[in-house]
Amino acid sequence: MTITLGEKWNEALEQVKLWARINSPWAIHFNSGSCNGCDIEILATVTPRYDLERFGVKLQGSPRHADILICTGPVTLQARDRLKRVYEQMPDPKFVVAVGSCAISGGAFQGCYGVVGHIDQVIPVDAYIPGCPPRPEAIIDGVVKLLGSLKKGPEEQRSGGEEVK
Amino acid sequence: MENEKREKFIVPIGPQHPALKEPGHFEFTVDGETVTGATVRLGYVHRGIEKATEDRNWTQNLYLLERICGICSHSHAMAYSLGVEKLAGVTVPPRAQAIRQVVAEMERIHSHLLWLGVAAHEAGFDTLFMFSWRDRETIMDILEGLTGNRVNYSVNVLGGVKVDIDAERADSIRKGLDLLEERTRHYLKVVTTDETFLRRTRGVGFTTTEQAEALGLVGPTARAANVARDVRVDVPYVAYAEFPVTMTLDTGGDLEARFVVRIKELFESYRVIRLILDKLPAGDLTMRMPRRIKEGETVSRIEAPRGELFYFIKSGGGEKPERIKVRTPSINNFALVTGTAVGHQLADMPMILAGMDPCFSCNDR
Amino acid sequence: MTIQATNVTSAAQPDAPKGSPMQLLAQWTKGIKTPEINRLDILIDAADMLACVKVLTDAHWGYLIAITALDTLGKPATYAQDVRWKALLDAGATQAASSPIEVLYFFANGPQIVTLRMLLAREAATISSLCGIIPSANWYERELIEMFGITVVNTPDPTHLFLPDNWPDNVYPLRKDFKIEQISSTKIEDIHE
Repeated sequence: MTITLGEKWNEALEQVKLWARINSPWAIHFNSGSCNGCDIEILATVTPRYDLERFGVKLQGSPRHADILICTGPVTLQARDRLKRVYEQMPDPKFVVAVGSCAISGGAFQGCYGVVGHIDQVIPVDAYIPGCPPRPEAIIDGVVKLLGSLKKGPEEQRSGGEEVK
Repeated sequence: MENEKREKFIVPIGPQHPALKEPGHFEFTVDGETVTGATVRLGYVHRGIEKATEDRNWTQNLYLLERICGICSHSHAMAYSLGVEKLAGVTVPPRAQAIRQVVAEMERIHSHLLWLGVAAHEAGFDTLFMFSWRDRETIMDILEGLTGNRVNYSVNVLGGVKVDIDAERADSIRKGLDLLEERTRHYLKVVTTDETFLRRTRGVGFTTTEQAEALGLVGPTARAANVARDVRVDVPYVAYAEFPVTMTLDTGGDLEARFVVRIKELFESYRVIRLILDKLPAGDLTMRMPRRIKEGETVSRIEAPRGELFYFIKSGGGEKPERIKVRTPSINNFALVTGTAVGHQLADMPMILAGMDPCFSCNDR
Repeated sequence: MTIQATNVTSAAQPDAPKGSPMQLLAQWTKGIKTPEINRLDILIDAADMLACVKVLTDAHWGYLIAITALDTLGKPATYAQDVRWKALLDAGATQAASSPIEVLYFFANGPQIVTLRMLLAREAATISSLCGIIPSANWYERELIEMFGITVVNTPDPTHLFLPDNWPDNVYPLRKDFKIEQISSTKIEDIHE
């Protein structure tokens, strides 16, 4: 059975979806070779001092329930396929945040034999948060900026990102 | 029917799993809810740092090795610096050594509080997780004020330290420690008296002293089984000879004992930091280091928050090391999971795993 | 005992105290070095390794800290005077013995560290497994297998511990002749697949 909605209804539904997405994005965290520094700072953002949950962001265990993929670390040979798989398991629309120098450029681990590269060589990234590691404030700022950009049109949302083949 | 019963049922966990923040893959063979076998597959965080050190010079390696682990970064940098200084024959000023010890103990505080929270989270006790991480921010503030960064402090340079502690800074550290000490007393009470929590910890993951020794456990995990191994006491490095710590031992051997040992170690850390702040030796912070390190081999052992950290450093007399071997405490302690998992409920696995305080980025390197 | 790190003394140690590793291992010792305070390097033949470890563990002398290896490619001079190297040469492994792989077993007892050091021929690096005596040695042995290409006989689990599943065969990253290009084909191909 298919329900066909009028144009107005469709528009309204899209708005409700966008409102829900901005107000309660669920995030999943994936470590693809990080030193733990960024990971503990991400965890610190959900604890009482920084409390990311006041923006409705919830750290979540399963990729199938998540809207935002928070990636840390350079991508190692062994983690690369897992990172791709986690990304593919997430329902659309999905957004990727790369946290830390290593996730952005490979950082201190450039040239190590186990490192493939940085996150956006493997999956498209929507927001970059620099730092080694970034402070929790910076992580919150990055996530809030990403949420802000969601309010814009779909073309601007995905600037820079491309589909994984 | 009989054959079907004998078939193994394997529960794979990981590499991406909600329980831990790091990727590792476990396979538990189960019979109903009871675990009958366990294997670990590491390597998801393997970057190849040992090889990479051979392509970088002595100073660059300090920053690379610090990033083996974001939780015990100071331990790695300190073990490496101590080894290289020994090879070069440079004596580091006592003030620098004392500051290294202060930061090392602060790192232990932040690491143990972090672990307390994560382990409580595994037990489903999220209130304790939130509380301990809130209080952990106190020590993070102290570390940030002292070193300028919350996680990779970069306190060490080859031949000394970068940061100094003045009277004003010492006062703010003391204030922070007072608060932490009071909170830690509360946590000790919680983990030893909370009925529900004790049901998850008492008797779980039990090892006898002999088993712990045979498994090669190190650090608080071993000390909770009454194995007297603590590098700070056995081979005092930096300033541990002048400002000694006492070893915290417990005869329990189970998860509860691991909680108790780690929390009691916190008190020891508070005490020794205060002692050093009161009697901080005067003098320089750094010594000049040569660019090329004399040919030779050395070992460097220190007590990281998770246990004995071992570095083997070989220099060929050049600007780059010939070989650096890093043996991290977690790799020894993983034997605890594979060794004690059998016979436990599957639901206890996250707790046993958390009880050894695994650090995947440390042992994958 | 204060001997220069570079000097290798003769094997006989009649004055060593009873129960010390020096005395326990005297019959297998091919040479002794004391590079630093509290450290003792005992040079042995790979064939005697199990016997040496057995004696140490039976005497409850310390615990195994680590097993690692050194690739000595391009440094044959280091071994010019070494009896173990001469033995390798005599065994006919001329090409291989020109750059042996040295395996190191570290044992610690309080502040003291004893290192058992043995040389293996490069092309046929084989050593017995320690797991029968010390089960936890398996972690390090798996590392020796994948990082240095050493065959460990009778080890219960020879699979990859750290290296990825798609790692090419016969490429050993911690050997000195390892080049990053040896694995670059896998890397690039997969990113653009």
